[in-house]
Amino acid sequence: MTTAKLNHLLHSLPEAEWKRWEPVLEQVDLPLGLVLYESGRPLSHVYFPTTAIVSLLYVMENGASAEIAVVGNEGIVGVSLFMGGETTPSRAVVQSAGKGYRLSAERMKAEFNLAGPVLHLLLRYTQALLTQMAQTAVCNRHHSLDQQLCRWLLLSLDRLHDNKLIMTQELIANMLGVRREGVTEGAMKLQRAGLISYRRGHITVLDRPGLEERSCECYAVVKKEYDRLLPVTTAR
Amino acid sequence: MPNSPNRLLSQLPQTSRRRLDSLGQIVELRLSETIGTAGGPTDAVLFPSDGFISLLAQVDGGHAIEVGMVGREGMLGIQLALGVSTEPLKALVQGPGQALRVSAAAFRRELRADPALRATVNRYVYVLFAQHARAAACLRFHQIEQRLARWLLMSHDRAHADHFRVTHEFLAYMLGVRRVGVTLAAGALQRRQLIAYDRGEMTIVDRAGLADAACRCYASDQAAYAEQFG
Repeated sequence: MTTAKLNHLLHSLPEAEWKRWEPVLEQVDLPLGLVLYESGRPLSHVYFPTTAIVSLLYVMENGASAEIAVVGNEGIVGVSLFMGGETTPSRAVVQSAGKGYRLSAERMKAEFNLAGPVLHLLLRYTQALLTQMAQTAVCNRHHSLDQQLCRWLLLSLDRLHDNKLIMTQELIANMLGVRREGVTEGAMKLQRAGLISYRRGHITVLDRPGLEERSCECYAVVKKEYDRLLPVTTAR
Repeated sequence: MPNSPNRLLSQLPQTSRRRLDSLGQIVELRLSETIGTAGGPTDAVLFPSDGFISLLAQVDGGHAIEVGMVGREGMLGIQLALGVSTEPLKALVQGPGQALRVSAAAFRRELRADPALRATVNRYVYVLFAQHARAAACLRFHQIEQRLARWLLMSHDRAHADHFRVTHEFLAYMLGVRRVGVTLAAGALQRRQLIAYDRGEMTIVDRAGLADAACRCYASDQAAYAEQFG
């Protein structure tokens, strides 16, 4: 079996679709910080992460950014393509290095227009992504940085194959749209509580239930919706 | 149809529009009526011709925040086009008016049979997608006053009148801030003679000035819509 099926959407393609896709899927390296799309620019490919995690960020005119969703092995980057938008309203950047597969935009559109099971699957994924975005918006307003940090760590953890994240505090600050000092302070608190250990950009999660307890409900709300809408989920 | 048609419907070929008209019925949107509850079933889609509906995300069993708005430029119930029949968000009528209501079953049949309808709805999903994304960033970075100005412009676009009824309490709920924050921000906009507010009646006095006072998110939302629908 190819590693492409580590991606849950690719994994759940029916046999006929998989046969068509397999020869045209292209494996790509997704190093930390790589920008897959810039907002407002045309999409050339869609990406199916297998071991990488991609963050969708909304970028303001002054350059400040806030994360609106994360996409890992449960999803696809570039859904705006099949809604008829040629561009994307967000920036997509690799937040955790790994691999993924890509498909050209034309090919994806052609598959989508066949209106078969692929269409159904991708549309349901889009709805799950919309839920994540709406929940992130409300979370940004109502929840503390500490809660958001826990939510963010849990979302990332679900999309990884072990309990270690390689991540600078600067990147986390960019994701959460807060200052770096805020992230440092939050991470120190979690470390003192024995939930994570943090050393030079390496975060190891030590106590997952503890993180879940400290997170706001937004993590569970989003997870539940993904579990409900998608055939295989982010569960490890 | 009422005299101010829904803009999505008016994008459709005449045959598609006639079919929806014949399948649906005109219903009233009553102020403060809850049309959908997150997690509840989707019985129908609505194409407002006037009036408008807020899409709210809720947390902690009470706090809510507006992440989108639907008026005559849009529709309520896009999740059906995505193959999902539960409501993703709370939908609350903010401006009274009328809408064309088409049952979920009939709408699904039309979507399957009518590529023009599918294409139009998909484009609208993209617009709402951009609106949700922007909401997350706007809530993080922008001041209450900018956000209030944006909200007033969005409502003004959909209300077809320079006056509408709204309390500070309701605004605080929509914007996810405390009432006193809204009172201060509304006071500042009033002193600059952009709005007038008297006992629950909001009047837009200077629309251009309000556009200057709003964050860029308003213009960005407009641009995203124009890009898809012209």
